[in-house]
Amino acid sequence: MRKIGVMALAATLLAGTFGITPLKAEQGKPGGTLVMGTTQKARHLNPAVQSGIATAVPGTQIFATPLRIDENWQPQPYLAESWNVSQDGRSITLNLRKNARFHDGEPITSEDVKFSIETVKTNHPFKSMFEPVENVDTSDPHIAIITFSKSHPAALLAMSSALLPIIPKHVYGDGQDLKSHPMNNAPVGSGPFKFKEFKPGEYIILEKNSDYFLEGRPYLDKIIIKNYKDTTSLALATDKGEVTMFPFLSSTKDIRRLKKNDDLVVTSKGYEAVGPMNWLAFNTNNEILKNEKVRQAIAYGFDRNFITNALHGGQSTAATGPVAPGSPFYAADVEKFELDIEKANKLLDEAGYKPGEDGMRFKLKLDYIPGAAEMQKSVAEYLKPQLKKIGVDVELRASPDFPTWAKRVGGHDFDMSLDIVFNWGDPVIGVHRTYSCENIRKGVIWSNTQSYCNGKVDGLLKLAAEEQDTDKRIALYQEAQEIIVSEAPLAFINTLPYHTAYSKKLGNPPLTVWGAMSPLDEVYFK
Amino acid sequence: MTVTSDQNLHISSQSPLKEVARAFRQSWAGMLGLVLLFLVCVFCLAGPFIYMVDPFEVIWAPLTPPGEVANVPLGTDYLGRDILAGLIHGGASTLFVGLVAGVLTMTIGILVGSIAGYYGGMVDEALMRLTEFFQVLPALLFAMVLVTLFTPSIYVVSIAIGIVSWPATARLTRAEFLRIRNLEYVNAARSIGARNNRIIWRVILPNALAPLIVSATLTVGIAILFEAGLSFLGLGDPNVFSWGMMIGAGREYILDGWWTISFPGLMIFLTVLGFSLIGDGLNDAFNPKLRER
Repeated sequence: MRKIGVMALAATLLAGTFGITPLKAEQGKPGGTLVMGTTQKARHLNPAVQSGIATAVPGTQIFATPLRIDENWQPQPYLAESWNVSQDGRSITLNLRKNARFHDGEPITSEDVKFSIETVKTNHPFKSMFEPVENVDTSDPHIAIITFSKSHPAALLAMSSALLPIIPKHVYGDGQDLKSHPMNNAPVGSGPFKFKEFKPGEYIILEKNSDYFLEGRPYLDKIIIKNYKDTTSLALATDKGEVTMFPFLSSTKDIRRLKKNDDLVVTSKGYEAVGPMNWLAFNTNNEILKNEKVRQAIAYGFDRNFITNALHGGQSTAATGPVAPGSPFYAADVEKFELDIEKANKLLDEAGYKPGEDGMRFKLKLDYIPGAAEMQKSVAEYLKPQLKKIGVDVELRASPDFPTWAKRVGGHDFDMSLDIVFNWGDPVIGVHRTYSCENIRKGVIWSNTQSYCNGKVDGLLKLAAEEQDTDKRIALYQEAQEIIVSEAPLAFINTLPYHTAYSKKLGNPPLTVWGAMSPLDEVYFK
Repeated sequence: MTVTSDQNLHISSQSPLKEVARAFRQSWAGMLGLVLLFLVCVFCLAGPFIYMVDPFEVIWAPLTPPGEVANVPLGTDYLGRDILAGLIHGGASTLFVGLVAGVLTMTIGILVGSIAGYYGGMVDEALMRLTEFFQVLPALLFAMVLVTLFTPSIYVVSIAIGIVSWPATARLTRAEFLRIRNLEYVNAARSIGARNNRIIWRVILPNALAPLIVSATLTVGIAILFEAGLSFLGLGDPNVFSWGMMIGAGREYILDGWWTISFPGLMIFLTVLGFSLIGDGLNDAFNPKLRER
């Protein structure tokens, strides 16, 4: 169990910086319907084969995972009442609860764990989560022993939230393609809430699982996840009290508006594991941008404070490196690229790009994700005149819809693009993909679309992925981040101001590092 | 040459165009439209030389209300860009789109409509089916598809608007041609051996122009509204300021900054009103029954 100790240490460090004292869940009282509002439309409800918030929020209510992570990044027992990591880190033993049953009454066995890990390994887009898994021993129905080809400390976090839902083999193991399995729309899990009804694009209704393996929970009778067509109408509905909880609220004017409502609590807690970042990506294959000095100059050429304070009204925070602040692996001690026009001009001069008669040195296109105005289009509109000051002529290239943008950036057909990418808890899951040489995969969005490749960084990331000692792991990531930040394959801008607005009547709101993407079995109405 | 506007003196020797011009000047609607449009054009064309502020430049705190700071008379938008500078520079592109789309609409419409109306028969059938095909397509959706297929730029937007709006003009032209093609003066032209080309463009078209000119002025107004709609939906050219784009981008901030959308909205209103009033005035002027009043 030394892993837990180390995680706890990291957590204490983190708690120190943020002044968090671990919350003890209050005793709740049963009853009530929670109405959750969202603008994200779920394609289906099986998170084993689908990433993203829209599936994860209902998915974590329907499916239980082996572990859950608390507000201090500590793994806690869930389906596994205890677990053990071997000395060499190459195997994890999960001791499953003997009373745990699926919603259809079948008991949960190690076979289901094995089947779930295999399903996620082959079907989930986050390949790195279980890629090193070699075998899952199922000789005891209540003990699953997972062996890895190498030590894999990210595995514990990958067994929480929506990342490793334990899906019943007797339902999903009938040989049909898991990605289009009919039961993805009427899922059978073992979580605190049972599937009742799903009307795509409109609502999802979940009902209390009275046979839940944790005694006395959940408290709520029902959860309704209601789709709204835009955040403005959702914010209005929350303001009026029609919606009890509005997670992933990111529009800064809606945050300000809802903060004024005395019946609501609006908090930014609960998104530490998501780690949502907004950045400016450079295509390092571009003739001009392959020069490190040009990229650094652009990073020095704009003011993050303007974006976070003026544009986002102080609701977002500046991002400084690959790992989002709030993670134990965040590196605070890196080059911050604070606005320095003089330095930017000097770097561009050194790179050999002298200003022409019109003061411009070269022209670059800038893409951005359509539909996310505050984080993307507005930032692009700010960068255009701002970068003119250092002689970079920016042409904005609008994409009519998301697929068009994804095709351009995924296909490496871009000069610069604003992009939003999530950390997903452990750097192995959400950070490595942006920087490792082997993940330069044309056609895949949110891979290493910058085509950045540095052997040293690659080596450090590989070492960090296997390092069991959290302090050493932190040090490896620190070193990797220093190099990445200074070579600037991306200019980091800000973290998304995700907030949760919830009614003051709610007790035990979901404020762990996974926020609303964790089981709401402790939530109750006061 | 001056045209006399004396009511008692309109004896025969006036040319038809002068007649129209005289009648137009008596139409208060048309004159008001002309004045409005003239002011808008002066604002947009002379503005950049008088009020030299880069509309893209962030110059003050975001969402500064109008009148609060002297150097940003109409306030700033969500980025802190000057609304007045945006209006000045946005006007030129809005008018550009309106004119290009208007000219394109009229060109395609008149070409298709006159050939269909003049030749009749199979040619008419074929061209009218084509026109109907374009007419039943929902215009805004079709324009969105066109803009989506190519990268949104001011030219693509103008052409897209032109392509979706010509059917009405084509039908109008065809109707005029059907009416005129068998009149005596056309037959007279034909009898002296005039070729089809000459008859279409030199004989019939000038006589069919009256309703087409009215329709052209309205078309420009509609094209401006169309551009505003596309920009509002985020399909405008982000590198060029336009009034529609200002409204589209500002709508999120309507509760915090009414001025970000009210001023560009007012400009669109005035411009389209100007074109409509001119159309109205021309309609009156071309109508001989009204002229005598």
